[in-house]
Amino acid sequence: MLNQLLKPVLERLPENNWLERLWILAKVDFWKRYYNSRLGVVWAFINPLMRFVIYFFFFTYIYENRIPEFGFYLFSGLIFWMFFSEGTVGAINVYNSKRYLLESIQINKFDLNLASAFSSLFGFLFNFTAYFLIQIAFGPPITWNALFIPILMINMFIIILGLGALLATLNIYLKDIAHVWDIVMLAGFFTHPIFFTIEMIEGVIPIAKYLSPMVGILFNSREVLVYGRLPDMGLLVYDLLYALVIVGIGIFVSRKYSHKVLEKI
Amino acid sequence: METPEVIKISDVHKTFRVADRASDSIRDTIFNLGSKGQLHTIKALQDINLSIKKGEFVGLIGHNGSGKSTLMKVILGAMRPDKGGIIQTQGKIILLSLGLGFDPNLTARENIYVNGSLLGLSFKQIGQKFHEIIAFAELEDFVDTKVKYYSKGMRTRLAFGVGIHAETDILMIDEFFGGVGDINFKKKSDAVFKDQLLAGKTIIYASHQMEPLKKYADWVVLLHEGKEVTRGKTEEVLPVYEELMKKRAKERRELREAKK
Repeated sequence: MLNQLLKPVLERLPENNWLERLWILAKVDFWKRYYNSRLGVVWAFINPLMRFVIYFFFFTYIYENRIPEFGFYLFSGLIFWMFFSEGTVGAINVYNSKRYLLESIQINKFDLNLASAFSSLFGFLFNFTAYFLIQIAFGPPITWNALFIPILMINMFIIILGLGALLATLNIYLKDIAHVWDIVMLAGFFTHPIFFTIEMIEGVIPIAKYLSPMVGILFNSREVLVYGRLPDMGLLVYDLLYALVIVGIGIFVSRKYSHKVLEKI
Repeated sequence: METPEVIKISDVHKTFRVADRASDSIRDTIFNLGSKGQLHTIKALQDINLSIKKGEFVGLIGHNGSGKSTLMKVILGAMRPDKGGIIQTQGKIILLSLGLGFDPNLTARENIYVNGSLLGLSFKQIGQKFHEIIAFAELEDFVDTKVKYYSKGMRTRLAFGVGIHAETDILMIDEFFGGVGDINFKKKSDAVFKDQLLAGKTIIYASHQMEPLKKYADWVVLLHEGKEVTRGKTEEVLPVYEELMKKRAKERRELREAKK
């Protein structure tokens, strides 16, 4: 399915071995995540939908709130957050799972990080398509401001790539980083404006939007998508710069410390 | 015209530091702050110098743990030598060792594309080589079967097929044929080695089996406890190796008796 969708694009690109390499690595990663199950890639649609139903039930009937367009607010927040958490969690084990290649071929480890981030991006695109179709059918009207979504997507991709390289390298030395990151993601879920508004978290932590780039990205994604407004430009630029710092640190740490991968794992 | 050098390594040392209680989790790191556990230093490679020319067939011999595999991983670049060591290689390298190189959850087709692509081939080139590889590995009926369902022999054939057909320049083979492959496959790999020499591929072959080395190796290096003992023609080095093995067996025996 993914093949058919992207084939025309790939065929038009000039023959580029590096792009092909990233493509095959990401594809294989993506396949392994979904194709081993009976419903395959359909899970990429069902999973966010089911999560949405559960959270929507809870936050509408049990724990009431007054956020306008709450259903779409929550649903879009969930798929953006899932992109972030699945992307970083999936990156942790990437050197380990590609050990078989590292031991037999000369490869650039950064390609592995890139491919892992692309694989999460594929997953996000499936989720996002599902969301987008539902909003067109039942939701608030989509405006031209939705064109800011690709920028937010690229922004998240860079963050996932940087954190992924960092976490994968840490995982060589500290194997329980996966458990730690699990808790960090749980904390993140309850401190980021996913089912509440940015004002609510700023009431508790006034500088929240400067601490985590995901706060601003979640806020802006709702502005442009659910409410059809322009994004907060200052925050947009701030988060892009933040992402570049993260990816810089990730690449630096990975270059300097990831060479011990075969000795430690 | 002089044959160009494709592998040059000088002053290569590789030391592993292994603690009895290695801290590889946060809990261990905290609890082991005071007591480090017994720290072992394993000198896996000591002062190795090699210069290998294009098209040469070089054998590596030595007992288990003598440093053969570490040396190959260092040449591949998968492990970094200690400070000061220099590794220079030219061309595409593949290291074939038992059971490695493939993701068991992918099919032969997918594995060939992943491997080929990482070796620098385009999808088009892999497509052209694909049937040669499958035919060589005799896996026509199992192209879309996951590699985890393959027998050891099938995996070996597939890896060897990729290694020789994927336009690699340097082929490193680590104990690869140990105990697998029927007579037909032995014949086939024999034929490959003969042809490979003509094709100009550089081969480094580590093995306990002396037959291929006697037949094809231009020269062999004998390693013992990470150090080079001697190098030369196989028939010259072999007696030294056998002597070393006897001495080692005797030492072990004495050690065992001393413990009693």
